[in-house]
Amino acid sequence: MPNLNLPLNRAQPQIMHIDLNSCFASVEQQARPLLRGRPVGVTNRNTPYTCMVAVSYEAKARGIKVGMRFADAKLLVPDLIMVESDPPKYHHVYQILVNIMRSYSPNVTMKSIDEGIIDFTGTIGSVNKQSLPEIGHEIKKRLTDEVGCWMRCNVGIAPNRFLAKLAAGLHKPDGLDVIDHTNLRRTLSELELTDLTGIAERNQARLNACGIMTPLQFLDAPSEVLKRRVFKSVCGEDWYQRLRGWEVDDHEWATKTVGRQYVLDELRPSDESVRARLAYLCETTAVKLRYKGLASRGIFVYVRYASGDYWYSRKMFKSSFFTNREVYRRATLLFNQRPHDSYEREIGVSCYRLSQSNMNQISLLEEVNREVWLTEAVDRINKDFGEFTITYANSAASKEIVKQKIPFGSTRYFELLCNRA
Amino acid sequence: MENIIQINKDVSVVAYYFKNAGARLRCYPKKIEYDGKSIVFTEMGMRHPTKKGERMIHIFDMTDGQADYRLEFDAQRLTWTLVAIADAHLPQAQTSGLTAIPAGA
Repeated sequence: MPNLNLPLNRAQPQIMHIDLNSCFASVEQQARPLLRGRPVGVTNRNTPYTCMVAVSYEAKARGIKVGMRFADAKLLVPDLIMVESDPPKYHHVYQILVNIMRSYSPNVTMKSIDEGIIDFTGTIGSVNKQSLPEIGHEIKKRLTDEVGCWMRCNVGIAPNRFLAKLAAGLHKPDGLDVIDHTNLRRTLSELELTDLTGIAERNQARLNACGIMTPLQFLDAPSEVLKRRVFKSVCGEDWYQRLRGWEVDDHEWATKTVGRQYVLDELRPSDESVRARLAYLCETTAVKLRYKGLASRGIFVYVRYASGDYWYSRKMFKSSFFTNREVYRRATLLFNQRPHDSYEREIGVSCYRLSQSNMNQISLLEEVNREVWLTEAVDRINKDFGEFTITYANSAASKEIVKQKIPFGSTRYFELLCNRA
Repeated sequence: MENIIQINKDVSVVAYYFKNAGARLRCYPKKIEYDGKSIVFTEMGMRHPTKKGERMIHIFDMTDGQADYRLEFDAQRLTWTLVAIADAHLPQAQTSGLTAIPAGA
């Protein structure tokens, strides 16, 4: 394999990264004017021992970080206000943001609920007459007009996605920055290695072990060193290109697994209670499968115990499945094999080896058809009258307790989640 | 924890409708009658749609400068519901004696 020897990408920046920082907290402050200017933490559960999924800038300024338990944060900032997350509200803002972004280019990729990328390739000069920084300012203004005066976003413009995200994080909370070949070295010289997206403590240690202490040294490192010595994989070459402004991150990853997990709400749960939660997880996993039009052949079940032990089992089946009953039946086959040494603390179910569902194809076996038709009828009723209007008796008790909340990262099930919320 | 009181009661509402306003401010609930009092809103935080089954619900987050109010407008039944009142200014102790009213009360 020849050593890569690429120059900096001198092309005009065409990628814009838009990031609503502290999104959920900002949306709550927008919706509730009395929360503005105050430290706010958004949690997924209405209990002090839950962690915060978003904190406002006022709270960040006083040392609160995302992921802290609310009770701990309250010790640090006594006037911290806890707000329970409200997915439909965030979905509304997400839809507005997507509509604004799509009005400039058809090539829009949402990376998560609060950040997305616009690829302007082929639109500048034809569809969009303005420059990218002007469009960035216009997007900021439109977001304020359409959502409210408290909504701010960061805009980053660069030749590739990595540098655009880096640019978007330079001047929070209301920045607009451009990184191109003219200012790349200057920008990197002002940063630490861990400021780069994808470089946390472990990767930093790998780089440090090879004598790379700063982003500039990282940029100047030969691709062979990054590939053979630092990352010991093709990731090294990806980093070499990424830092120089060449695009390596425009992949669409296919769904490999669909699943749910849940930390049990009781310290000493009974077997009946654990099975009720498992039934609920299986039901919502099957709903996710059907929402994506997928069927599964493999199932994976795990249990984490109060003692700290971890048990899992997985099995591949000859036939594919996607109905609630089949997911629960097959998960229970595995779940029954678990050891009973300690109380269960966390349970999870995942389906893998996914393929397109054959739900529309009529089977030769009458009982298979009946199950598919029953599932279709139940799905239709639940769609019309609200999720879990018809549900299994053994999972009914869990419906009020196990609430699906805001997912980090992917927006694949966001519509489904908002229908349920 | 936040000082939030669940109400879930139908209320009378005086709402303005501005034909030329953007989607955000087209419908503006100005005043509600609740518990024998008139509450006049001074600002709308956000309006967002959601669904209950197939029913379209519009949620309005309003404030009168003293507390935040969450109103729901059921577009099918044409009813307004005061869902909750939240008061970020009051310390916890002052509202701890208030009893949350269950849904549908």
